[in-house]
Amino acid sequence: MKLSEIGMRRLLRVSSALVVAGLCVEIISLLWFHPLAFVLFVFVAVSIIAAGVVVFLASLLFVITPSPGSGPRT
Amino acid sequence: MFGATPLLIALIFVTMVLAVWVLVRPSVTIGAGGKILAFIALFVLPALCVTAGMSAHIQRSEQTRFCISCHAMQPFGRSLYVDNQNYLPAAHFQNHRVPADQACYACHADYTIYGPLKDKLAGLKRIYVQYLSTPPAHITIPGGYNNHQCLRCHAGARNFESNPIHQAIMSSLVSNQMSCITSGCHDTVHGIDTLSHVKFWSPTP
Repeated sequence: MKLSEIGMRRLLRVSSALVVAGLCVEIISLLWFHPLAFVLFVFVAVSIIAAGVVVFLASLLFVITPSPGSGPRT
Repeated sequence: MFGATPLLIALIFVTMVLAVWVLVRPSVTIGAGGKILAFIALFVLPALCVTAGMSAHIQRSEQTRFCISCHAMQPFGRSLYVDNQNYLPAAHFQNHRVPADQACYACHADYTIYGPLKDKLAGLKRIYVQYLSTPPAHITIPGGYNNHQCLRCHAGARNFESNPIHQAIMSSLVSNQMSCITSGCHDTVHGIDTLSHVKFWSPTP
């Protein structure tokens, strides 16, 4: 297995975990009828989900970045 | 829970199932189909859940029961049930001159283009004051109550426009130079200090 694949899979796992955690917080904020629920959603849920999405986008870099030695051989 | 919230929670569960699948088996992303699945599960659906969640929270914050779920707002909520039609909010709420489930929002929302955003920021500031600072003993509206919030409904209404007093001071009301509620005309508003000795109306179930 290439190093880039290992890195990509690790990032995908981190991204998935963050997205799932953020969505759990979002569900709590939707079921909790209190002014603080909005704060919980905006500052906690959205931040965690956004971090998950950013990590996922970072994992895509592993796909498009050519691994060392994959360039044209002379 | 109301409106589209159950649908949103269902969407969140679907997103979570797909995200957990990628979490447990990241090798599914080797194929083109798996890559598309990961893109949907970790980018498209989370973005949709955040957007829909924001919309649900903003809609919920327009509800009367949301406003009075805050401890500081509870006396203002009680004032809607005062059995005295001189109390402006009570008269509007009890006679459905404003939607009963959006009574606070109907009279206190900023109806300008960026109004909802400004209202949300003001709400966050109040939450900050409530939990991390010292709440004021008397809650007041910064800058005073804007007549435009009354005129949004009353302007053009027959009984408002035909009133000779309103006709005489109309330009002052429109320009906000004379307040509807602090110029001695409609000055009994929430009357929080008087709630301990007034009679309350109980709506029949």
